Amino acid sequence: MRPEGWCLLILFWGLILALAVFCFRRIFGKKEIR
Amino acid sequence: MGAGKRDSWASRIGIIMAVAGSAIGLGNFLRFPAKAAANGGGAFMIPYLVALLLLGLPLMWVEWTLGRYGGGFGHGTAPGIFHSLWRKNRFIKYFGVIGIFGPLVIFIYYAYIESWTLAYSFFSLTGRLSAVTDQQGMQSFLRGYQGLEANAFFTSIWPAYLFFVVTFFINFTVTWHGIKGGVERVCRIAVPVLFACALILMLRVLTLGTPDPAEPTWSISSGFGFLWNPDFSTLRSGKIWIEAAGQIFFTLSVGIGAILTYASYLSKGDDVTLSGLSATSMNETAEVILGASIIIPAAFVFFGPANVRSIAESGVFNLGFVTMPLILNQLVAPWFFGFLWFFLLFLAGVTSSVSLVQPAIAFLEDEFQIGRKKAVWIFGSFAFVLCHFPVFLLRHGVVDELDFWGGTFFLVVFATIEVILFAWVFGIHNAWDEMHRGADLRVPVIYKFIIKYVTPLFLLVILSVWLWQEWMPVILMENVSAENRPYVLGTRIVLALMLAALALAVKLAWRRRRARGEDAHAA
Repeated sequence: MRPEGWCLLILFWGLILALAVFCFRRIFGKKEIR
Repeated sequence: MGAGKRDSWASRIGIIMAVAGSAIGLGNFLRFPAKAAANGGGAFMIPYLVALLLLGLPLMWVEWTLGRYGGGFGHGTAPGIFHSLWRKNRFIKYFGVIGIFGPLVIFIYYAYIESWTLAYSFFSLTGRLSAVTDQQGMQSFLRGYQGLEANAFFTSIWPAYLFFVVTFFINFTVTWHGIKGGVERVCRIAVPVLFACALILMLRVLTLGTPDPAEPTWSISSGFGFLWNPDFSTLRSGKIWIEAAGQIFFTLSVGIGAILTYASYLSKGDDVTLSGLSATSMNETAEVILGASIIIPAAFVFFGPANVRSIAESGVFNLGFVTMPLILNQLVAPWFFGFLWFFLLFLAGVTSSVSLVQPAIAFLEDEFQIGRKKAVWIFGSFAFVLCHFPVFLLRHGVVDELDFWGGTFFLVVFATIEVILFAWVFGIHNAWDEMHRGADLRVPVIYKFIIKYVTPLFLLVILSVWLWQEWMPVILMENVSAENRPYVLGTRIVLALMLAALALAVKLAWRRRRARGEDAHAA
């Protein structure tokens, strides 16, 4: 894989994982619905 | 308000899992990697990200908000929700019919394809699939199973029919038990199991190394390179932008109507912004991280760079049901990995298909005051009859036709209608306040502008490009063989009748509401 391929892979995996972690940390830090 | 109190979600995680389950389907593991490989590799991710930010996320929030808003008035489907948004307009509820029609049409063929994954899970476990060693054999296996030819593997379509009936029964058993007792309970288990299966397969692919010493360049690193190395020159083509927008639509299950119905079972003060974003993040994890790391890199390692491009362009059925079993047959314990692959697809399928039947069931419950179990019987009987068309007429292009209207065209039309209603009729300020009622996350204010101008414009451009490029060939059936034209025409007539019947049902439902004095504006 070329360096720019690695850069894109790391960028997109990082973005998506960061988003998932952000969401679920916030959810588990809050009360459940109802 | 239905036959009694409306059903509800037991937990926030429950609805997030259900929406994520609805979004994560066969497309995450088959369509996405194939599209990315065929459209510039890593460069495809740029229009994909743009479409996610300008189209996918806004529509996700719009649908969650509209669903919860309509649920507050006892409506779980688009006719009632659209009517609640624009009471002065007597016709808007009829546009909402698409939000019941679309998922029903998708379900008609999706349930059958889903049943193939269940069958192939079974054939993997019994070792029947691992006995097939070449591409021609695997294609014969699939064609024999589908009833397209009688061969050494299958002499009739009846095994496929049996698995279809079992799959159909599973779907309606889940639906029978309602939102909390059925959909939520199943998705809370099925979605994590699906992720676990995908993770195991991904780790196996990552550890493939260079299995053929005679071909040292056929390595897993080069396989990832095939998918991720960017060809930025493709960004100048409009096609890649339309393909990426289309992929975002399919993957997030927006524009269907299923998310509206799921969100209608929320309470008024429940968050929709963070929950919608969470479901999106789960879908993207399944697609970009897991989905992209299984089939194309593995195909590269076993078939080499010369063949992988044609494999990627060979269509999702060929990719999932011919190429992937051949790859898995080359591993130790092919029965185990084969089972994991097809069971993963089955779980992805079943969590999507149960969401597709909810709008029709909710329509019967909410607008005709029919109890859930009776509604499941009525709709189930109707759907069971309709599902026979793709089972027995697969060879005549019926599935492609259903997919075009239910799974492509009306998706974009419906999304355009709902975003215009949300931002322009309801008003972006009201819409913004409604979206943030009980919100655990403040959406960046730029999205006010995006939802009002950019998303509708984006959708109108997609529709215009389609009309410009494909309208006439599609209407005139130019790409359909002469032999299949009567079947395609017949499918179109059935679909038109279904739309008309649903519009009539909406008219009847509103007449009954007016008779009961439930809605002063009903017309």
